[in-house]
Amino acid sequence: MAHSKIKLPASATIILLFGFVLLSLQLMSSATQESSELGEMYSWLLVINTLGSVILLGLVAFNAYSLVRELKKKEAGSRLTTRMVSLFVLLALAPAAIVFYFSVQFLHQGIDSWFNVEIDRAMDDALELSQSSLNQRMNWHIKQTKQMADQLRDKSEALIAMEVGSLWADSGALEIAVFSNQGRVLASSSVNPSDILPHLPDEQIWLLLRQNKEYFAFDPGDNDEMLVRIIVAIEADQSRFLQVLFPIPVRVTDLADSIEFAFIRYQEMNFLRDSLKTSFSLILLLVLLLSLLAAIWVAFISIRNIVAPVKELVKGTQAVADGDYQQQLPVMNQDDLGFLVESFNQMTRRIARSRDETRAAGLEVENQRAYLETILANLTAGVISFDAAFYIRTANQAAYRILHIPVSHFVGETLPTLATMHSELAEVLNAIQSLLEKADDIWEQRIVFLGPNGRQELLCRGTPLFSQHGARTGAVVVFDDVTDLIQAQKNAAWGEVARRLAHEIKNPLTPIQLSAERLQHKLSKELQDGSAEFLQRGTRTIVQQVEAMKRMVDDFSEYARPSKKQVEKINLVDLIQEVMALYLPSGIIFSTAFASNRVLVEADPVSLRQVLHNLIKNAQEATTAPCRIEIKIAKVSRNNTDYVELGIYDNGNGLNAEQLETIFDPYVTSKAKGTGLGLAIVKKIVEEHGGVIWVDTSYNGGAGFLLQLPVFEFGNFK
Amino acid sequence: MICLQIAPGVAEAGDYSARIEYADLEHVDGGYDVHAHIDYRLSPTAKEALHKGVRLTWDVTIELRQPGALWDTIIHKHKLTYSLQFHALLNQYVVQTPFDRSEMFLTLSAAMNFMAAVHDSTPIPAERVTAGTPYLLAVKTQFNREQLPIPLRPVAYLDNHWFLSSAWHTWPIQK
Repeated sequence: MAHSKIKLPASATIILLFGFVLLSLQLMSSATQESSELGEMYSWLLVINTLGSVILLGLVAFNAYSLVRELKKKEAGSRLTTRMVSLFVLLALAPAAIVFYFSVQFLHQGIDSWFNVEIDRAMDDALELSQSSLNQRMNWHIKQTKQMADQLRDKSEALIAMEVGSLWADSGALEIAVFSNQGRVLASSSVNPSDILPHLPDEQIWLLLRQNKEYFAFDPGDNDEMLVRIIVAIEADQSRFLQVLFPIPVRVTDLADSIEFAFIRYQEMNFLRDSLKTSFSLILLLVLLLSLLAAIWVAFISIRNIVAPVKELVKGTQAVADGDYQQQLPVMNQDDLGFLVESFNQMTRRIARSRDETRAAGLEVENQRAYLETILANLTAGVISFDAAFYIRTANQAAYRILHIPVSHFVGETLPTLATMHSELAEVLNAIQSLLEKADDIWEQRIVFLGPNGRQELLCRGTPLFSQHGARTGAVVVFDDVTDLIQAQKNAAWGEVARRLAHEIKNPLTPIQLSAERLQHKLSKELQDGSAEFLQRGTRTIVQQVEAMKRMVDDFSEYARPSKKQVEKINLVDLIQEVMALYLPSGIIFSTAFASNRVLVEADPVSLRQVLHNLIKNAQEATTAPCRIEIKIAKVSRNNTDYVELGIYDNGNGLNAEQLETIFDPYVTSKAKGTGLGLAIVKKIVEEHGGVIWVDTSYNGGAGFLLQLPVFEFGNFK
Repeated sequence: MICLQIAPGVAEAGDYSARIEYADLEHVDGGYDVHAHIDYRLSPTAKEALHKGVRLTWDVTIELRQPGALWDTIIHKHKLTYSLQFHALLNQYVVQTPFDRSEMFLTLSAAMNFMAAVHDSTPIPAERVTAGTPYLLAVKTQFNREQLPIPLRPVAYLDNHWFLSSAWHTWPIQK
């Protein structure tokens, strides 16, 4: 059998408090009883109960103040507490006030009903009757005393002393005494033989005696008996007085005392009527205040205890709303609220577990995304992703490297917007935009455009992206700069052609030349002068053309042959000045702008000299007027590598758009005697040295070539 | 012979509060008797209560103090309780003395005069008093509200008609 715990309805403090309040009220109630020994403590009990009320009022006020503060701060549970406390106070106060009002009314009416005119008159009559009875007895004793005084008048002190005894015996008095006006006792007789001295009058009686010549009054005797004291003058000159003490019968005394006690008691109660009402109302008010305030205070504590789990729940819910799922609330009671709290704890545990799982999944996705971003960032191909409206969402570093604009800075923009800001890329960007808009499937396109570094060729591949429901969500464009690759392929093809051409053409040239020379040698003597001369001209022409073809084939061989570089550190400035010196006699006017006079590059000096010769020769041949060549050297940085940028500008005719596309291709020339290999060899040498060369299209004064070579040291200008 | 008094100490004035008019010591066999005279004044409310049968009680406290630097040392202390009541049947006023004796008076003034003349017949032992040492004789009378009927007590603490006590009155005493 399971044991069930019996819980007290409130804490021990509350029980003690109620016990103390009840005890104090009971003591005060007892103290109001006339016969109670607690009467002496009444005032203290009143003070204690008043203090208790004040303390309880303070506690209630403090709790109410705290509640108001909590309400202002909008703390959890404060509104529910306020509602419950208000309801309790209303429910407790209304009946208590009604009971108090009617109790006071009944009390006042009850007290008033004790008194009425008939009782007043009866009490007065009873007292008057008692007084009449006593006065009648006194009058009779006065008469009796005066008769005794008459008997003693004009007698000597000795006779008086003798007669006093018989008078006492006849009168039934307690004591008879004769004394002079100076207070000297002349004779006395008493019922108590032990009383040597009679009960002499005090100063007050003497005073009255001298004024009135006689005195009579009731005196309290010994043993709560009542006496009648009568003093009369024996002689007319008041030289001697007779005092007689008569006893009042015990029965009469008791009756008189009883009436006097009842009268006084009634008078006192009548006098205290208002005080009684006030006193009882005060006690009732104290009882009400103590009970009500104690109940309200206990209500505060109890309601706070009840609301505590709700408050915790509200706090917990707020914490969960703020994202704190670790909240575990204490289960205080195994009741409905406890069940609610337990359910809340289960809920937060599940949410926390789900959150952790989601967080782990998110972390995994994030890692994957970061991994993909890393891969994308390190791809050599540029990747740009778009949303459904073709706004740029992401772009990798390679896109910047290929397009030379920080595409990632334009996230949220469209390609046409980018094109308006970078007009040099407008052609390729608009082309990609057009392909994106048109394509419903994967597409691939080569796009050639003139970039800041010259002609570039991009291999673009676009992939539209679709959601699971088939809606277009965006697109991805992957592009790569295949300019160098295409050029290398072209170079390799041309090299192969050149090699084969040289091999196929050069071999028959020597027999042709030898045959021509033998014909000349054999036939010149046999022919007539005219024919001999014609033969000589013909054979000379053949030999000359064969020589020319040999040179052409040698050039082809030279272009096709892998280079054999002797790399060393050379000062590019010195090399340029050396080459310039060779052309000074030819009338070329050079102007230079060098950022430094010490630019060390690791290169083959022979090859570089050939580059310079080819470029200067080209400029010279392309110029009809006096040739002016400007040579610039500057330092540039690209992809964390320092380059020396060499610019060679002439004042010739310049290049048209068609020439720009094929200027570095082999066998492309605008000159009558050119082989078309000069710039192709230049480009080949530059690229073999890890550099690039392109036509500076921004220069309009003639033709301009820019080439960049890795620099070993770029000194300061001295 | 002990000589006394001269100027009364600080007295608290009140409409109906009692006043200590004088106090002195009288050398008797084996010690010193205290004599004092108190001027009692009854408010109309107190008189009405008296005539309606309410007993009025005063506690007369007598102290002989030896002045000190910080506080006075009490050499002797004695309390005398007087109560006054109206006897309706006999139409007399009864004074209950501290010596368990009842005195009846025909008039209120006679009863008050009787109470006014305080004579503490319990002498202060002579050995407690040192020659040449200054002393203070302090007397006060305290109206005992706790002897009033219970319903009247709370009012008596608030209504100045019931402020019938006197303050401490002190007289320097020199041997």
